[in-house]
Amino acid sequence: MDAPVVDVRALRKVYRVTERETGLAATFRSFVRRRYREVLAVDGITFHIDAGEVVGFLGPNGAGKTTTLKMLSGLLYPTGGEATVLGHVPWRREGAFLRGMTLLMGNRSQLVWDIPAADSFLVLKEIYAVPEAQYTRTLDELTDLLDLGPLLHKPVRGLSLGERMKVEFAAGLLHSPGVAFLDEPTLGLDISMQGRIRRFVAEYNRRSGATILLTSHYMDDVVALCRRVIVIHHGVLLYDGALADLAERMAPYKRISVTLRGTVGDLSTYGEVVSSNENLATIHVPRAQAAERTARLVRELGDQLADISVEDPPIEEVIDKVFASERPLAEAMA
Amino acid sequence: MIRIYRQLLVAQIQAAAQYRIQAVLWMLFSIIRPVIFLAAWTAVSTAQGGSVGGYTTSDFAAYYIALTIVGHLTTAWNSFEFEFEVRQGRLSPKLLRPLHPLHYSVVENLVWKVTTFLPLMLVCLVIALTFQVKWSGEWWHLALFVPSIVLAAALSFMIGWVVATATFWLQRINTVNTLLQRTSFIFAGQIAPIALQVISYSLPFAYVLATPAEILRGGVTLERGLLYLVGQAVWLALAIVAYRFAWRAGLREYSAVGA
Repeated sequence: MDAPVVDVRALRKVYRVTERETGLAATFRSFVRRRYREVLAVDGITFHIDAGEVVGFLGPNGAGKTTTLKMLSGLLYPTGGEATVLGHVPWRREGAFLRGMTLLMGNRSQLVWDIPAADSFLVLKEIYAVPEAQYTRTLDELTDLLDLGPLLHKPVRGLSLGERMKVEFAAGLLHSPGVAFLDEPTLGLDISMQGRIRRFVAEYNRRSGATILLTSHYMDDVVALCRRVIVIHHGVLLYDGALADLAERMAPYKRISVTLRGTVGDLSTYGEVVSSNENLATIHVPRAQAAERTARLVRELGDQLADISVEDPPIEEVIDKVFASERPLAEAMA
Repeated sequence: MIRIYRQLLVAQIQAAAQYRIQAVLWMLFSIIRPVIFLAAWTAVSTAQGGSVGGYTTSDFAAYYIALTIVGHLTTAWNSFEFEFEVRQGRLSPKLLRPLHPLHYSVVENLVWKVTTFLPLMLVCLVIALTFQVKWSGEWWHLALFVPSIVLAAALSFMIGWVVATATFWLQRINTVNTLLQRTSFIFAGQIAPIALQVISYSLPFAYVLATPAEILRGGVTLERGLLYLVGQAVWLALAIVAYRFAWRAGLREYSAVGA
């Protein structure tokens, strides 16, 4: 069996930060005697990612996602643990490693603002030693996938956020990396541009077979791209498995939405009524009893019922439940 | 590496071309200080009968013109730039690429110097004619000046990088930079030629400005000129060692803030 492309074992990162109370007196005290506090950002996480996988890396703000990505891309030294990416220890920052991966951050620019993207691309071509034929082929492909044609010859500072993100993607992928770490790639983009970037990432993964680890606060990104998710919270790994299983394990209920022809009455005998508004109601029922409760609703409400739908709870709700859990799901399931 | 440098040069020239006014202002700024000191020493020299410590008015003018040219060719602002890049999160994209961030600074530095050198020489020519400067050097002064200015530029650049690495620990190094500038102002031969300030020979700053300036104006013997080159080479080697050590240690401290 092939070794995993990303192999993380008990990875840990502790930041040392200065701390002081508010007020002028505290400021002077801090000037004379500084107090430090250790912040545990990543607490011994372990996971492996195989070649070609697209994995969603989820967690609330401050969970340790970006710190982990920075360690895996060689920007940060860990406090403990081990990791290899493409067989290299990232923080040694060897040339072969840097040429084989990319880290794209939705809110950060790596292009020179004052010159057109096409000129920055030529610099990157030389830095990554991309052969001429491969460069032309890759740029044509990226131009086609991202519709870059009209953007390549404008100075980067004149591009809109969405346009800039597209050329940032192209810049990060010009050297055809085998591993791409994407940190909030759709941050701040409008719905249509988010969709476009999502389709691009899926198509890029299909065409190139690149391994992708993606963080995003937009669950649509995760649902569209990732069959597997890794969830961390307070630096601890809470869940690593299929996205579909996450809903089943963490939210053991189905959501029934009913639309009535009249005003909603008491529906609590069918399940937990989570919302009710004039003629609309949403009820949570245990998964195992979803079919039976739905049939009962149809039978007993009869002509009063205008519409009914049964679905899994939205992924945001499931993730919220995971974040709210007191102990790692992996432990709970062990 | 040559192909990388060629492409970086093209990109940097394109970027620099966008800010022509800024380039001219910086160039003028680099001239103001030597001209003020030249005027002051000319006044002192005239008051003392035409010479101070063996330097005539014409010698002072030649020295400060040489100092202006050397100052221009050895200036390095990478420590200011580096702090800005770290704080703005712009260092991280560079660290992710298989090219040391130092190379971007080399190119930026070279482009600035090359593009502003010609107008600077025109200004120096005007000053030389105004103060009736007579160059008193030999051919070997010019031959010696070439390695001297290369070593001086490299030394200034590497001192800048050593200071820059302090950002990894301190986050803000404005005060460190200011301290360095003030020290350099005192000991690099800007207030007076270093022959009048003997302690300067034991510090690195004079080897960035004063020694190549003395060689350029033809104010040293061959033996002394060669000794200056040795001093420059020693300080450059020390700066490179210090930089390599500080860079490696600094990367371990790097917290990639804002990126």
